[in-house]
Amino acid sequence: MNFDEPVQGHLHWDDNEYSFGKKEAVRTIAILSVVTVVEVGIAISYDAFSTDGGKYKWGISLLMAIFSVIKVIFIMGTFMHLKHEKKGFILTCLLPFLFLIWAIIAFTFEGSSWEMMRGWLNAF
Amino acid sequence: MAAEATLHHGHGTENTAGHGHQDDKDLWQGGHSPFRIGYGKVMMWYFLISDTFTFASFLIAYAAERFANSAAWPKAAEVFSSIPVHAFGLDKLHAPLVFVSFMTFLLILSSYTMVRAVQEGYRMNKWGVVAFLVPTIICGIMFLGCQYLEWTHLIREGMTPTSASSLTKVILFGNLFFVITGFHGMHVLGGVVLNTWLAVSAANGRFDKVGHYEMVEKLGLYWHFVDLVWVYVFLCFYLL
Repeated sequence: MNFDEPVQGHLHWDDNEYSFGKKEAVRTIAILSVVTVVEVGIAISYDAFSTDGGKYKWGISLLMAIFSVIKVIFIMGTFMHLKHEKKGFILTCLLPFLFLIWAIIAFTFEGSSWEMMRGWLNAF
Repeated sequence: MAAEATLHHGHGTENTAGHGHQDDKDLWQGGHSPFRIGYGKVMMWYFLISDTFTFASFLIAYAAERFANSAAWPKAAEVFSSIPVHAFGLDKLHAPLVFVSFMTFLLILSSYTMVRAVQEGYRMNKWGVVAFLVPTIICGIMFLGCQYLEWTHLIREGMTPTSASSLTKVILFGNLFFVITGFHGMHVLGGVVLNTWLAVSAANGRFDKVGHYEMVEKLGLYWHFVDLVWVYVFLCFYLL
């Protein structure tokens, strides 16, 4: 197996690119760490101190989902270098995930429906 | 030469149309990357996209089952409320999500060292690559060790793929937990093995001989993907 096939791409950095890349990596790890601390802090605080009986849990869940998307944007964009690729390649990589939006909506509704049907079946 | 230059600027189709057969032939012979990145890197991305769909299927199944058992579904802060380390009486502390947060930081830290290894590769700095790959491998091994501790702790409490503990109640919770975190753990293990091979190859001067360190970048993509998937595993099992 030949792992060392000829490549086309930008594989050698000059001093400027290198120092910019280093700074960008530090900034990204700082953002990821802060977002994770905030996420965990909110999750623990809500469980420990909330008095709403889980009524507003959906709001917390939405916030967590947004935080996770932020983390993924930074991991994919900076660490995986996607934001520096050509636009066509970025779209090639990201567009397939539109299917997942459908899948998430469809299967959460499906799950709720299973629970509801179980209730009906138990009634008989 | 002119055709070569236009093709390399990434606008081959527009610029070479009507400029003779030679240009068209060059274009259709292949060997030119429309995305201006190496074939191996493109294929690594495609593999990771397909792997994302596998993980997404698991996590969406988790979401469906959770909505189907919403009343009985266990609370993460209760199930993952202790640190499964016997030393210093840590296992006696009530510390919800602390241990898994530590595991998350291990992966974030390893992603940073990996990106630094890739950057050292861009500078053809052999020992720089090795110096940043070693902590990446160590973080990966530590993550797997933490997962071993957490799994054995949960299994002792009665949560297995086929049974629920007094805290988890729903069997499917344990089932999905072990399958999904196990599948992720297999990816981490694979990454540790590949990164070890990478560090040894770099130290042996393989990539200096080839003239580039693209392999570090390709396996770097894989390693960041492992971190990226953990963001969602962490979200579904521990935060929501």
